[in-house]
Amino acid sequence: MKASDFTVLVPDCCSDVLEAMYFTSVLEVTREDAFPERGGTEGMPSFQAEYAFSLNFRGDVSGRFGLSLSGPAARCLASNFLGEEDSNLSIHEVGEVIGELANMLCGSVASRIEGERKFVLSHPEPIALLPDVRTEDVLISKFDTDSGLITTRIVVEGTTCNR
Amino acid sequence: MAFNILIVDDSPAMRRVVRRVVDLSGVEVGKYLEAGDGRQALDVLRAEWVDLIMTDINMPEMDGEELLLAVRQDAMLSSIPVLVVSTDQSETRIKQMMSFGADGYISKPFMPERLSEEMQRLLGGVPNESF
Repeated sequence: MKASDFTVLVPDCCSDVLEAMYFTSVLEVTREDAFPERGGTEGMPSFQAEYAFSLNFRGDVSGRFGLSLSGPAARCLASNFLGEEDSNLSIHEVGEVIGELANMLCGSVASRIEGERKFVLSHPEPIALLPDVRTEDVLISKFDTDSGLITTRIVVEGTTCNR
Repeated sequence: MAFNILIVDDSPAMRRVVRRVVDLSGVEVGKYLEAGDGRQALDVLRAEWVDLIMTDINMPEMDGEELLLAVRQDAMLSSIPVLVVSTDQSETRIKQMMSFGADGYISKPFMPERLSEEMQRLLGGVPNESF
Protein backbone atom coordinates (compact mmCIF):
# COMPACT_ATOMS: atom_id res chain seq x y z
CA MET A 1 0.00 0.00 0.00
CA LYS A 2 1.30 3.43 -0.93
CA ALA A 3 0.64 6.81 0.61
CA SER A 4 -1.20 7.88 -2.55
CA ASP A 5 -3.76 5.15 -1.80
CA PHE A 6 -4.93 7.37 1.05
CA THR A 7 -5.90 10.22 -1.26
CA VAL A 8 -9.65 9.64 -0.81
CA LEU A 9 -9.56 8.05 2.64
CA VAL A 10 -7.84 10.90 4.48
CA PRO A 11 -10.33 13.60 3.36
CA ASP A 12 -13.26 11.30 4.16
CA CYS A 13 -11.97 10.65 7.66
CA CYS A 14 -11.07 14.29 8.20
CA SER A 15 -14.58 15.40 7.27
CA ASP A 16 -16.18 12.80 9.53
CA VAL A 17 -14.06 13.68 12.55
CA LEU A 18 -14.26 17.45 12.14
CA GLU A 19 -18.00 17.50 11.56
CA ALA A 20 -18.94 15.06 14.33
CA MET A 21 -16.76 16.31 17.14
CA TYR A 22 -15.35 19.70 16.18
CA PHE A 23 -18.49 21.10 14.49
CA THR A 24 -16.34 22.20 11.59
CA SER A 25 -16.91 21.72 7.87
CA VAL A 26 -14.25 21.03 5.28
CA LEU A 27 -14.65 23.57 2.49
CA GLU A 28 -11.85 22.49 0.17
CA VAL A 29 -9.22 19.77 0.05
CA THR A 30 -5.97 20.07 -1.82
CA ARG A 31 -3.32 17.42 -2.17
CA GLU A 32 0.08 19.01 -1.92
CA ASP A 33 2.80 17.76 -4.15
CA ALA A 34 5.70 16.50 -2.07
CA PHE A 35 7.96 17.69 -4.87
CA PRO A 36 7.45 21.42 -5.24
CA GLU A 37 9.59 21.53 -8.34
CA ARG A 38 6.78 19.68 -10.10
CA GLY A 39 4.30 22.36 -9.10
CA GLY A 40 3.27 23.09 -5.54
CA THR A 41 0.07 24.28 -3.97
CA GLU A 42 -0.60 27.44 -5.88
CA GLY A 43 -3.60 29.33 -4.72
CA MET A 44 -3.74 27.75 -1.28
CA PRO A 45 -3.47 30.14 1.64
CA SER A 46 -0.24 29.95 3.56
CA PHE A 47 -0.04 30.08 7.34
CA GLN A 48 2.37 29.81 10.21
CA ALA A 49 1.86 26.48 11.92
CA GLU A 50 1.78 26.85 15.69
CA TYR A 51 0.46 23.43 16.63
CA ALA A 52 1.88 20.24 15.15
CA PHE A 53 1.49 16.67 16.38
CA SER A 54 2.76 13.34 15.13
CA LEU A 55 2.02 9.73 15.97
CA ASN A 56 2.87 6.30 14.62
CA PHE A 57 0.48 3.59 13.54
CA ARG A 58 1.45 -0.08 13.48
CA GLY A 59 -0.51 -2.92 11.91
CA ASP A 60 -0.89 -4.47 8.48
CA VAL A 61 0.11 -1.04 7.25
CA SER A 62 2.53 1.00 9.35
CA GLY A 63 3.67 4.56 9.17
CA ARG A 64 3.45 8.05 10.63
CA PHE A 65 0.65 10.56 10.73
CA GLY A 66 1.19 14.26 11.25
CA LEU A 67 -1.07 17.23 11.68
CA SER A 68 -0.35 20.95 11.78
CA LEU A 69 -2.42 24.09 11.97
CA SER A 70 -2.28 27.72 12.94
CA GLY A 71 -2.92 29.04 16.43
CA PRO A 72 -6.29 30.66 15.56
CA ALA A 73 -7.49 27.49 13.83
CA ALA A 74 -6.38 25.38 16.81
CA ARG A 75 -8.14 27.64 19.30
CA CYS A 76 -11.33 27.61 17.22
CA LEU A 77 -11.32 23.81 17.04
CA ALA A 78 -10.56 23.48 20.74
CA SER A 79 -13.39 25.86 21.59
CA ASN A 80 -15.83 23.83 19.49
CA PHE A 81 -14.61 20.52 20.87
CA LEU A 82 -14.79 21.49 24.53
CA GLY A 83 -17.78 23.80 24.23
CA GLU A 84 -15.96 26.67 25.89
CA GLU A 85 -14.94 30.18 24.89
CA ASP A 86 -11.51 30.11 23.32
CA SER A 87 -10.41 33.00 25.53
CA ASN A 88 -10.84 30.67 28.52
CA LEU A 89 -8.54 28.00 27.10
CA SER A 90 -4.85 27.74 27.87
CA ILE A 91 -2.19 26.82 25.32
CA HIS A 92 -1.90 23.48 27.11
CA GLU A 93 -5.62 22.77 26.79
CA VAL A 94 -5.63 23.70 23.13
CA GLY A 95 -2.65 21.39 22.60
CA GLU A 96 -4.48 18.50 24.26
CA VAL A 97 -7.44 18.96 21.95
CA ILE A 98 -5.28 19.09 18.84
CA GLY A 99 -3.39 15.99 20.01
CA GLU A 100 -6.72 14.22 20.34
CA LEU A 101 -7.68 15.42 16.85
CA ALA A 102 -4.49 13.84 15.48
CA ASN A 103 -5.30 10.64 17.39
CA MET A 104 -8.86 10.47 16.07
CA LEU A 105 -7.86 11.22 12.49
CA CYS A 106 -5.10 8.64 12.49
CA GLY A 107 -7.30 6.06 14.20
CA SER A 108 -10.11 6.71 11.77
CA VAL A 109 -7.78 6.25 8.79
CA ALA A 110 -6.08 3.15 10.24
CA SER A 111 -9.43 1.53 11.08
CA ARG A 112 -10.55 1.77 7.52
CA ILE A 113 -7.44 0.30 5.95
CA GLU A 114 -6.92 -2.58 8.32
CA GLY A 115 -8.13 -6.08 7.58
CA GLU A 116 -7.90 -8.87 10.07
CA ARG A 117 -5.20 -7.58 12.33
CA LYS A 118 -5.46 -4.98 15.04
CA PHE A 119 -3.49 -1.78 14.80
CA VAL A 120 -1.76 0.17 17.52
CA LEU A 121 -1.36 3.93 17.71
CA SER A 122 1.36 5.69 19.64
CA HIS A 123 0.53 8.65 21.85
CA PRO A 124 0.35 11.90 19.81
CA GLU A 125 3.46 13.93 20.50
CA PRO A 126 3.81 17.65 19.90
CA ILE A 127 6.53 18.45 17.40
CA ALA A 128 8.07 21.74 16.35
CA LEU A 129 7.00 21.35 12.73
CA LEU A 130 5.97 18.55 10.44
CA PRO A 131 9.17 17.00 9.11
CA ASP A 132 10.14 18.10 5.66
CA VAL A 133 9.60 14.71 4.10
CA ARG A 134 10.53 14.40 0.46
CA THR A 135 9.97 10.77 -0.40
CA GLU A 136 7.69 9.07 -2.87
CA ASP A 137 5.61 7.64 -0.10
CA VAL A 138 4.11 10.68 1.56
CA LEU A 139 0.67 12.18 1.13
CA ILE A 140 0.24 15.79 2.17
CA SER A 141 -3.32 17.10 2.29
CA LYS A 142 -4.47 20.61 3.04
CA PHE A 143 -7.96 21.17 4.36
CA ASP A 144 -9.52 24.58 4.14
CA THR A 145 -12.17 24.49 6.87
CA ASP A 146 -14.45 27.03 8.45
CA SER A 147 -12.10 26.96 11.46
CA GLY A 148 -8.97 27.56 9.37
CA LEU A 149 -6.39 25.65 7.40
CA ILE A 150 -5.30 22.17 8.53
CA THR A 151 -2.44 20.19 7.01
CA THR A 152 -2.11 16.42 7.37
CA ARG A 153 0.83 14.29 6.33
CA ILE A 154 0.80 10.53 6.13
CA VAL A 155 3.93 8.49 5.51
CA VAL A 156 3.74 4.77 4.79
CA GLU A 157 6.76 2.90 6.14
CA GLY A 158 5.73 -0.71 5.65
CA THR A 159 2.99 -3.02 4.49
CA THR A 160 2.65 -6.65 5.53
CA CYS A 161 -0.45 -7.43 3.55
CA ASN A 162 -1.27 -7.51 -0.14
CA ARG A 163 -3.49 -4.57 -0.94
CA MET B 1 -30.41 7.50 41.74
CA ALA B 2 -26.97 8.96 41.23
CA PHE B 3 -24.35 6.95 39.36
CA ASN B 4 -20.60 6.92 39.74
CA ILE B 5 -18.96 6.94 36.32
CA LEU B 6 -15.34 6.08 35.59
CA ILE B 7 -13.92 7.62 32.41
CA VAL B 8 -10.67 6.02 31.24
CA ASP B 9 -8.76 7.79 28.47
CA ASP B 10 -5.20 9.02 28.14
CA SER B 11 -6.50 12.24 26.59
CA PRO B 12 -7.63 14.77 29.22
CA ALA B 13 -9.50 16.62 26.46
CA MET B 14 -11.50 13.52 25.56
CA ARG B 15 -12.28 12.82 29.23
CA ARG B 16 -13.60 16.36 29.45
CA VAL B 17 -15.80 15.92 26.38
CA VAL B 18 -17.21 12.65 27.66
CA ARG B 19 -18.02 14.32 30.96
CA ARG B 20 -19.80 17.07 29.11
CA VAL B 21 -21.88 14.57 27.15
CA VAL B 22 -22.79 12.81 30.40
CA ASP B 23 -23.76 16.15 31.94
CA LEU B 24 -26.03 16.91 28.98
CA SER B 25 -27.57 13.44 29.00
CA GLY B 26 -29.58 14.14 32.11
CA VAL B 27 -28.12 11.17 33.99
CA GLU B 28 -27.68 12.02 37.64
CA VAL B 29 -24.01 11.61 38.44
CA GLY B 30 -22.87 11.02 41.96
CA LYS B 31 -19.19 11.15 41.23
CA TYR B 32 -17.02 11.44 38.15
CA LEU B 33 -13.89 9.36 38.39
CA GLU B 34 -11.10 9.57 35.85
CA ALA B 35 -8.06 7.52 34.89
CA GLY B 36 -5.38 7.95 32.22
CA ASP B 37 -4.84 4.23 31.61
CA GLY B 38 -6.01 0.79 32.68
CA ARG B 39 -3.70 0.53 35.66
CA GLN B 40 -4.94 3.80 37.14
CA ALA B 41 -8.50 2.63 36.43
CA LEU B 42 -7.98 -0.57 38.43
CA ASP B 43 -6.66 1.50 41.33
CA VAL B 44 -9.82 3.62 41.22
CA LEU B 45 -12.05 0.53 40.96
CA ARG B 46 -10.47 -0.96 44.08
CA ALA B 47 -11.10 2.23 46.05
CA GLU B 48 -14.46 3.50 44.78
CA TRP B 49 -17.91 2.19 43.91
CA VAL B 50 -18.35 2.48 40.14
CA ASP B 51 -21.61 1.98 38.20
CA LEU B 52 -20.23 2.35 34.66
CA ILE B 53 -16.79 2.24 33.06
CA MET B 54 -16.24 4.13 29.82
CA THR B 55 -12.84 3.23 28.40
CA ASP B 56 -10.62 3.96 25.44
CA ILE B 57 -8.47 1.13 24.03
CA ASN B 58 -5.13 2.65 23.00
CA MET B 59 -3.51 3.83 26.21
CA PRO B 60 -0.05 3.62 27.79
CA GLU B 61 0.82 1.20 30.62
CA MET B 62 -2.35 -0.89 30.48
CA ASP B 63 -4.66 -0.57 27.48
CA GLY B 64 -8.45 -0.87 27.37
CA GLU B 65 -8.37 -4.49 26.28
CA GLU B 66 -6.26 -5.49 29.27
CA LEU B 67 -8.48 -3.43 31.57
CA LEU B 68 -11.61 -5.12 30.24
CA LEU B 69 -10.11 -8.58 30.76
CA ALA B 70 -8.95 -7.68 34.26
CA VAL B 71 -12.39 -6.38 35.21
CA ARG B 72 -14.17 -9.44 33.85
CA GLN B 73 -11.80 -11.77 35.69
CA ASP B 74 -12.24 -10.01 39.02
CA ALA B 75 -15.23 -11.37 40.93
CA MET B 76 -15.75 -8.05 42.71
CA LEU B 77 -15.74 -6.00 39.52
CA SER B 78 -17.06 -8.32 36.85
CA SER B 79 -20.65 -7.09 36.93
CA ILE B 80 -19.78 -3.46 36.17
CA PRO B 81 -20.94 -2.47 32.67
CA VAL B 82 -18.07 -1.49 30.37
CA LEU B 83 -18.61 0.82 27.42
CA VAL B 84 -15.66 1.02 25.02
CA VAL B 85 -15.09 4.41 23.38
CA SER B 86 -12.31 4.11 20.82
CA THR B 87 -10.94 5.49 17.57
CA ASP B 88 -10.68 1.91 16.33
CA GLN B 89 -13.68 1.42 14.06
CA SER B 90 -12.59 -1.94 12.66
CA GLU B 91 -15.10 -4.77 12.83
CA THR B 92 -12.36 -7.11 14.04
CA ARG B 93 -11.69 -4.99 17.09
CA ILE B 94 -15.36 -4.39 17.88
CA LYS B 95 -16.14 -8.12 17.74
CA GLN B 96 -13.11 -8.92 19.85
CA MET B 97 -13.94 -6.42 22.59
CA MET B 98 -17.55 -7.59 22.72
CA SER B 99 -16.35 -11.20 22.96
CA PHE B 100 -14.12 -10.18 25.87
CA GLY B 101 -17.17 -8.91 27.72
CA ALA B 102 -17.69 -5.29 26.70
CA ASP B 103 -21.32 -4.23 27.03
CA GLY B 104 -21.18 -1.59 24.32
CA TYR B 105 -18.82 -0.05 21.77
CA ILE B 106 -18.77 3.49 20.47
CA SER B 107 -16.35 4.56 17.75
CA LYS B 108 -14.69 7.96 17.83
CA PRO B 109 -15.70 10.27 16.31
CA PHE B 110 -19.10 9.87 17.87
CA MET B 111 -22.25 11.88 17.89
CA PRO B 112 -23.01 12.97 21.48
CA GLU B 113 -26.52 11.50 21.17
CA ARG B 114 -25.08 8.07 20.41
CA LEU B 115 -22.84 8.06 23.47
CA SER B 116 -25.68 9.32 25.61
CA GLU B 117 -28.04 6.59 24.38
CA GLU B 118 -25.54 3.84 25.05
CA MET B 119 -24.81 5.16 28.50
CA GLN B 120 -28.52 5.35 29.31
CA ARG B 121 -29.02 1.82 28.06
CA LEU B 122 -26.24 0.43 30.21
CA LEU B 123 -27.40 2.28 33.29
CA GLY B 124 -30.99 1.28 32.64
CA GLY B 125 -31.98 4.91 32.79
CA VAL B 126 -34.68 6.99 31.23
CA PRO B 127 -34.46 8.07 27.57
CA ASN B 128 -32.39 11.17 27.05
CA GLU B 129 -34.37 14.39 26.65
CA SER B 130 -31.54 16.89 26.63
CA PHE B 131 -30.45 16.49 23.01
